[in-house]
Amino acid sequence: MQTIPITQINVNDKRFCISYPLEDDILLASIKKIGIIQPLILLAQSPYIVVTGFKRLEAALSLGLANIPCIIVNIDEKNALLRSIHDNTGRLLNIIEKAYCIEKMLHMGFSKEETYEIMTLLSLNRHEKIIKRLLDIANADETMKNFILKKDLSMQNAESLLRFTPEEKNRIIEMLIPAHTTESVMREILRMFHIIKVKNGAINFSIMVGADNAYELKTRLKNLTHPILSSLEKGLKDIKLKCALPPNIDIKVDPFFEKEYIDILIRAKNPDEIREALIKLTGVLDVGYIGSIFGLAKD
Amino acid sequence: MGLPKIDFVETKGNIVRDCPGTKNHICCGYKTIDLIEGCVLSCSYCILKGYINTPDIKINRDMPYILSQVKETIEAEKTHILRFGTGELSDSLALDGRYKLNRPLIEFFGDTKKALLELKSKWAYIDHLIPYLNPYTVISFSVAPQRIIDKEEKRTSPLYKRLKAARKAQNSGCFVGLHFDPVIIYEGFEKDYEYLIGDIGRILDLKKVLWVSLGLLRFPPRLFDRFLEEGRKNLLYGEFIRGEDGKYRYIKKERMKIYRMLYGLLKKQEEDLFIYFCMEREDIWREAAGLTMEDNEALTGLFDNRIKKLYGGNI
Repeated sequence: MQTIPITQINVNDKRFCISYPLEDDILLASIKKIGIIQPLILLAQSPYIVVTGFKRLEAALSLGLANIPCIIVNIDEKNALLRSIHDNTGRLLNIIEKAYCIEKMLHMGFSKEETYEIMTLLSLNRHEKIIKRLLDIANADETMKNFILKKDLSMQNAESLLRFTPEEKNRIIEMLIPAHTTESVMREILRMFHIIKVKNGAINFSIMVGADNAYELKTRLKNLTHPILSSLEKGLKDIKLKCALPPNIDIKVDPFFEKEYIDILIRAKNPDEIREALIKLTGVLDVGYIGSIFGLAKD
Repeated sequence: MGLPKIDFVETKGNIVRDCPGTKNHICCGYKTIDLIEGCVLSCSYCILKGYINTPDIKINRDMPYILSQVKETIEAEKTHILRFGTGELSDSLALDGRYKLNRPLIEFFGDTKKALLELKSKWAYIDHLIPYLNPYTVISFSVAPQRIIDKEEKRTSPLYKRLKAARKAQNSGCFVGLHFDPVIIYEGFEKDYEYLIGDIGRILDLKKVLWVSLGLLRFPPRLFDRFLEEGRKNLLYGEFIRGEDGKYRYIKKERMKIYRMLYGLLKKQEEDLFIYFCMEREDIWREAAGLTMEDNEALTGLFDNRIKKLYGGNI
């Protein structure tokens, strides 16, 4: 190990960098307090090229350090990249970092089998389709990458988002950044945007203005992609309101109005509660409210 | 794009199977013969794309084994008149001009006279089969408006050729089948289907149509993503929900409306047509056809009656 001036390193050469993002507040605080403990690995070239330690170098640069501990190695490019990848596999790589690994391997001419081996190491499925998704992610713009990280987007959702035009993608990201969404809600929302795009050729974003949470956004999108289902749901809601059933009685209808039957649930602690519930149900049955539920899905 | 690779195999095990049908929907008790697996045609909505992982085509060439399985199945059946088809995992006719696979099957069913063989296709070439056709083979064509054939059924025969081939089969002494499957909702589809049914009425002898199936577009989830990726506007135009069987299908309110329309248009052409819904629910049967269809057995019974009516005591 030796210490060299940072000026001897080509800090812009990121050919072996798989870390994203490079900024790391905890590491910065640690280096500020006790300095760099683990040396960088540098490729023996003039100027030196970083093989591992990009985050440490970034921290050193932002702290204005003049010198940096390092180990100089004389290996070929492919081995340098493998070293960089293996050096990082000890921590949990995010999806962008995994994408970088694969993108750089392919760029440097690794064989498919070698790439698949690393994919297995990174817990990725060995499939052409996955490679394509990863390449798209690796080449995405910063807004997209930040969004992927912020929302911890799955590869499938990231790929889905990448299928939109840059303008559409940015509008969708803008709408989704403040929204609290689960992975499945995100998938549903993106799919609905896609359906609208395929059906209409474009997305009319003005309809979404003011949809400031995931539920509202989903509702508005659903009105466009599933107008009949939305109207059936509204119809059912209105009927249930008219029924004014107590909380211990519930009428369950198939969420897609497919099943020919409905379920009526009565929660009771004693026979009297059952009797009361049956009287109430008989009342709403007699005025035709329950019957009208069966008519909802018919033409 | 090149044509898929053809492999000849000698698969043992169950070549003859029950048509898988679908959960909580009424199915017709069809039997499938896995003669060919894979298809040279290129329909965008093809569910084989969701089930078969390879584009290659496998042809089972062990005809004695296949026929022995068919025979065994016919002999084991005591209640119904069995209907067999080779069009579940492939197109029945697309490769037949080249490989002559159907002739031994046609001859077998003609000799046996106990069950029917249906050759279901979108490929309108049957000339090589004409000398061997007999009433125990049903030549069936999938039909769709030409607009859909142009966009979604690449490499298949145009509609007028399918109808002409069906007529040729009728003239050769065969009954034919028609499959409106998948029916696809797109802008202006109602008018196109009206014209299509009108054409059928003009070209075919509807008294010699053994059965007509109606089935609206349905597909497994993985095809949804494919349709989105490929921007299939026609296929995604309607409103889809997930059915109880996990497949995507049009919302029931739409299905009822369309089935009723098609059923009405077909019955207007020929009141005696036997029309059935493929993999549909009990209430669709009731609402669209006015029939009570409690289970698969009831539908299979309807098929028996239809066949007995047209074949008399000859089956």
